Amino acid sequence: MAIECLVLGAGQEVGKSCVVVTINGKRIMFDCGMHMGYKDKRQYPDFDLIPDSCDFTSSLSCIIITHFHLDHIGALPFFTQNRGYSGPIYMTYPTKALAPIMLEDYRKVMVDRRGEKERFSSEDIVECMKKVTAVDLKQTVQVDKDLQIRAYYAGHVLGAAMFYAKVGDAAILYTGDYNMTPDRHLGAAQIDRLQLDLVITESTYATTYRDSKYVREREFLKAVHKCVEDEGKVLIPTFALGRAQELCMLLDDYWERMNLKVPIYFSAGLTIQANLYYKVLINWTSQKVKDTYVTRNAFDFKNVCSFDRSLINAPGPYVLFATPGMIGGGFSLEVFRQWAPCEKNLVTLPGYCLAGTVGHKLMSAKRPTQIRLDEDVQIDVRCEIHQLSFSPHTDAKGIMDLVKFLSPKHVILVHGEKPKMAMLKERIESELAIQCYYPANNETVCISSTHHVEAGASDAFLQSCLCPNFKFSKPNSERDSDLDDSNKRTIVCDDRVAQGILTLEKNQNPKVVGQNEFMEVLGVENHGVKFAHCCPIYLPDSESRDASGRSPSALLRLIFEQLSRAFPGFDLHDCQEQIRIRSFVGSFCSKEKCLHRTDVSLHSRVTHLCCSWSLADEELAWKVLSIIKNLELANAS
Amino acid sequence: METRLLSDVGLTLNQHPNLSSKSADAIVALITNPFTSDSTVTSLLETLILHLQNPNSNHHKLLSLLSALSRHHPRLRHRITAAAHAFILLPSTPTPSLPHALSLLDPDHSAPLDPFSDESLFLSLCFWQCVKTRGWTLRNVSKFRVRPSVLLTVLLGFTKDPYPYIRELALDGLVMLSNGIVVEDRSLVEGCYFRAVELLFDAENSVRRSAVRAVSEWGQLLVALNSDKTKRYWSDALFVQLCLMVRDTDMEIRVAAFNALGKIQTVSEDILLQTLSRKALLATKEKHYPGQCTAKLFKLPATTAAFTFGHGLEDEFYQVRRPACQALQTLTVLSAQFAGGAVHLLMDMLNDDSVVVRLQALETLHHMAMHDHLKVDESHLRMFFGALIDNNALIRSAARKTIQLTKLQELKMLRSCIDGLIKNLNLYPQDEADIFYVLYQIGQRHGKFVTSIIHNVSQELEPSFDGKLVFNNARTAALLVLAISVPVSFERMICSIPPEIFSYAVTLLGRLSRALVDVMDQNVLLAYLSHCSRFTVASNSEKFEGEVLNFHLELKKVAISSLHDYPLNANVKASNCLEIVLRKVVDLWPLIQLGCTNEVVQTSRNWKEELRNFSCESRQPAGLLFFALTYLHVIKLLGKAWACTQRNLQFKGMGFLDALLSKMERRLKEMLYRFAGLSREGKLHILELMLVTYTMSLSYSGACYFEDNTKKLNFVLSRVEYLQKEGSIELSKFVIELQNISRENGDSEDGFVHKLDLLQKSLHLFSLKYIPLSGELKYLNAELDVCDNDFQNPFPFISGLPVGLPLEITLYNISSETRLWLAISLGEKSTQFVFLDLHEFGGCDAIRKFSFVAPFFRTPKVKHFLLKVSIAMECLSEDQHFKHCHGPKHELIYLCKGKEVHLSMAVK
Repeated sequence: MAIECLVLGAGQEVGKSCVVVTINGKRIMFDCGMHMGYKDKRQYPDFDLIPDSCDFTSSLSCIIITHFHLDHIGALPFFTQNRGYSGPIYMTYPTKALAPIMLEDYRKVMVDRRGEKERFSSEDIVECMKKVTAVDLKQTVQVDKDLQIRAYYAGHVLGAAMFYAKVGDAAILYTGDYNMTPDRHLGAAQIDRLQLDLVITESTYATTYRDSKYVREREFLKAVHKCVEDEGKVLIPTFALGRAQELCMLLDDYWERMNLKVPIYFSAGLTIQANLYYKVLINWTSQKVKDTYVTRNAFDFKNVCSFDRSLINAPGPYVLFATPGMIGGGFSLEVFRQWAPCEKNLVTLPGYCLAGTVGHKLMSAKRPTQIRLDEDVQIDVRCEIHQLSFSPHTDAKGIMDLVKFLSPKHVILVHGEKPKMAMLKERIESELAIQCYYPANNETVCISSTHHVEAGASDAFLQSCLCPNFKFSKPNSERDSDLDDSNKRTIVCDDRVAQGILTLEKNQNPKVVGQNEFMEVLGVENHGVKFAHCCPIYLPDSESRDASGRSPSALLRLIFEQLSRAFPGFDLHDCQEQIRIRSFVGSFCSKEKCLHRTDVSLHSRVTHLCCSWSLADEELAWKVLSIIKNLELANAS
Repeated sequence: METRLLSDVGLTLNQHPNLSSKSADAIVALITNPFTSDSTVTSLLETLILHLQNPNSNHHKLLSLLSALSRHHPRLRHRITAAAHAFILLPSTPTPSLPHALSLLDPDHSAPLDPFSDESLFLSLCFWQCVKTRGWTLRNVSKFRVRPSVLLTVLLGFTKDPYPYIRELALDGLVMLSNGIVVEDRSLVEGCYFRAVELLFDAENSVRRSAVRAVSEWGQLLVALNSDKTKRYWSDALFVQLCLMVRDTDMEIRVAAFNALGKIQTVSEDILLQTLSRKALLATKEKHYPGQCTAKLFKLPATTAAFTFGHGLEDEFYQVRRPACQALQTLTVLSAQFAGGAVHLLMDMLNDDSVVVRLQALETLHHMAMHDHLKVDESHLRMFFGALIDNNALIRSAARKTIQLTKLQELKMLRSCIDGLIKNLNLYPQDEADIFYVLYQIGQRHGKFVTSIIHNVSQELEPSFDGKLVFNNARTAALLVLAISVPVSFERMICSIPPEIFSYAVTLLGRLSRALVDVMDQNVLLAYLSHCSRFTVASNSEKFEGEVLNFHLELKKVAISSLHDYPLNANVKASNCLEIVLRKVVDLWPLIQLGCTNEVVQTSRNWKEELRNFSCESRQPAGLLFFALTYLHVIKLLGKAWACTQRNLQFKGMGFLDALLSKMERRLKEMLYRFAGLSREGKLHILELMLVTYTMSLSYSGACYFEDNTKKLNFVLSRVEYLQKEGSIELSKFVIELQNISRENGDSEDGFVHKLDLLQKSLHLFSLKYIPLSGELKYLNAELDVCDNDFQNPFPFISGLPVGLPLEITLYNISSETRLWLAISLGEKSTQFVFLDLHEFGGCDAIRKFSFVAPFFRTPKVKHFLLKVSIAMECLSEDQHFKHCHGPKHELIYLCKGKEVHLSMAVK
């Protein structure tokens, strides 16, 4: 059995996340994103590469969407409405709620404003969303008889989840985008320690180590506070969802603590609507938000009120949140044009701005500067610029920590830049000894998967399993002195879990039996290798001694006494006719021609002790024999 | 009804030993009904007990009924316990019922056949095939009194159990066991530790949680078992292993991990530094420790510790952030460099949204400040002082406590600190008292900075044009408090604060005294303010400082007095004053070390003056006073001599130092011999100072008196040893070091010649301590008077013939056993000694007054000459031999000043 992993998007690049994984025959598509950088057919994943592409519904068991960002969901309406997929789609509740807003917003911008060719319509979005099944965190969903999926909290954005999928015994985890450190409004990724064959993880910051989030927060707050203290106005251009709420919460808290009275405004539109969702989906936010929810909703910002256009040039300091984030147009540009010439004001820029936007120009320019918007308009920028470095992706350490925690058998990296992915792969393989791959788009990686065989168990085996049966072993330090330290300590093992024998009979299910029953099950006898030696004992032949008085039993007792002196630690048995030490058995041989006799002696007064022993006691046996032989010498003298 | 139920129950029980649910309900009804008569309950109990012994009954149900009975009728508990006990001892009792029966017993109540100390019972319960039984036994493992070795083996074995909750219980049991067990077998402890480490990778959260605790406890045991050499190594291993767990996704595991990290006593600095950095540091990159990194990797790289505290402090849950802060508290003590890095993180925590975390962060900072590991950076100021305007009163108070202890390196920082405090005062006037107190303390710490700040803002403090003082203004008030704290600053260089300011501050007297209630009471404050406001601009800074220190002393004194609230008895006051002075002397030590000779001299002079004043007022026992005066003198000399050794010796010449040292030596000897009733501690103290004198002399003053000084040093050391033998006395590091040097030196002839550097170094170990004086000291003194003799009325003499000198002698506190000599010296060189046999003169030891005609034999051939007569005591304990043929054999201590006697050739 194997897991096949076909990367349709986000292979060695960031954008249009789409991975199709086939586990034990079940095919799952994780994410169905679009690439924002392309306008041609590269914008969407190449769905034709999916096997049986004529009928996606039967080819794919399900589609799983991790979160509502367009590079993870952008191609979904196209795939369902144009390519005819009508199977199940799973996403979390917040994603289901927020995705249509995002998609519709994108469609409007692309189609209505820029007049591009429509790939899907508003109706398509609505229809597409109808096929979606919403799942809750840690809820196990039985997609069909064999396929189980489960969502885990991923941080990143509201409703982002990592998805666990299990078919039979093979299990994988697809992380989507995630964040290992919490921010003000979202928690850190949270997952159980699962037995996994494969983890497919994002690697946006494959080699980056980010500063503590507190440094970012401190700098942001310092800049804002200083600006409003000096009677300036602060413009915070943000995306409607996510960052806006985080910064707003940060400021609201700070205002509260520092008793600041300067107003904070939220420009209308998408943001307000998004805030509404945030208020409802409180369960998906960070612990802090949940904690305060008892007293008040943290998204009911105390110091935040909605903005009225007439206030743009109102006197006095205030803070304004406006969309879009990169000042590419819209309201934030309008405000920026008015505020930029004043030195007292402050504009914060997001960590990443697309080329061509005002934000991008500001990032690269030194202040004061002039920015040309178009042929006629030029803005004097004298205001303060503060660049935010907030990012909802985990950094290299976070990825390593997650992989270390889960310790899967294989790792596949997606959603990152190729050279960085290569470095991360090296680290994972060298530090954690886990196989790692980073396939390019449209490549397939095949890995073997776990396959469990169902086996019955015998009653005796089950019975033996019930009672603890542990042993402690302390390997002999002399023998293992050349081995490393770890082998010298006391080691515990529990036999009931460890010891059992798997039997496989023809036309029957495999069965586990206990060690004792094994022979019985096989219907064979126990065979063992035994050594034998018929040891001659020369009796003194002088007639003067009363040789006849040395009856065999007396001789035996003599031997026995000698042996007990030589082996004080052993349990010796003297059973009249035999001597037993462990598996060593010796008795007088009455046969004329014993098979085990090696000496051809003409000595008249010789008697033979026929001995046998098993392989394990070989060393002991030879010692015993040498004593017996020496005994004869002592007698002779 | 009651009896019917009872008889029904009895009947059914007899017929069907397997209790039906109906009759069980009936029994429960009887038990729980408070109106059931005692007799019914008793007979019910007996019935139940009877059936308990029947092997065919449903023991489980019977036992739960009995436990209900025991809960509702405590008076029957004894009987039920006995029955349960008997039941346990029955051979027919099935093992699964045992836990239930055992739970009815009281483990603390030891019976002759205590099932809880029955090892075989314990083992059979443990190894019973039913997991529930096993679970119960492990949960109650602490109740069993079986051999620890058995317990340990069983618990260790069960860490392999396939059932997660049994593993968890076994680990909990191991944690419990680790607290009360002494294991000598290292491999066993290691076995337990590494088994627990293995379980850190368990799939079950609860197992991992218990494993963290077990790893911590057994790790500590393992560390303790190691020799000093490897201790650090294993401690590091434990630390790194625990660091791995702070990235677990379960919150409680992270909490447990940080709690465990906070318990670790020693960690290498490079690992601590690694916990602050995300990236692998060079120092830790190649290091590996025994442990487990993942379920399969058995080598633990030190880089696992990377950013441990960063992650902890960034955690989503305040439950994690708090112990992370707490762990920092213990670990920052270990390394200053680590503390320096941790400060950055902690300062950010002051921006945390949880009050508990902010408070803990401040507490950690406070702790760091106390250990002198808090270095505040300029970038922190905003956060740090931001805490002062936090809207939580606890946070503000904690912030002030921390700030009070913080030494600010720059004037700018102090400025913003004061601004922060003023902001605090403006926003939260209720904090005023505390803020004033903190300002006062800050002023003491940063005298120099404060002076310059006050000079800059003195305009603000002046009355406004309309002549009104606007001291209601919080800022002005705060600045005034700051200003008045300057004179008591610990810093040396103090410029003046305009005296008017002190008079302005008087207007705030009530508010000030409320704030400074711990330092001084209102009267003292007023006295202090009016005292300071009297000064015109002090040009003579030395004098000013002396006064100030003097005043500071008085402040302290009154502070003490107000604490004890004693009656104003002059005598007590004076002796108290004495004690205060002796205590304050210790504070001079840093000044001496810094070489501030003038300050030391001035202060000791002032104190002497003060002591004399006090003793005039009171009939103070003279002994103590003289002792203190001499002591102060010695300290003064020490101060001068110390400064000499620090500076360029060429400047004043060797002779200067020698003179100082010999003066010191003489004074010290006086202290040692002229005061009867010195405690051993007192003696030791003086001896130590003598050692200092000799050491300084040996190491700085060249070779001239080398042999002599070596001898003296060894002699004093032997005395110290003698004192030590008499009773346990703790020696200072300095003395111990000297002893070591001397011991190494052995009896070699050239003495300390080769050890000069060691001697010099040893001096740095010395520090001035408080000299404890107990009871009364008797001052051995002598007064000498020559009647009718002065320059104009000389005694007549005949050259070449002896002459008699009539002397009036008064002796105080000198016993008749003392060997007293009259030393009569002619010029510098020749001295003649006359023995005074005290037995001849009568009187008592306390005071002895007599006339004595001293003979002087070798009158020179001159017309006039001058003799100096004084009384000296021979110190029998001093080793030194004089070569006077008829004079004293030992060293002399002079008991009075030399008296001049004029003689003139008799005119015939």
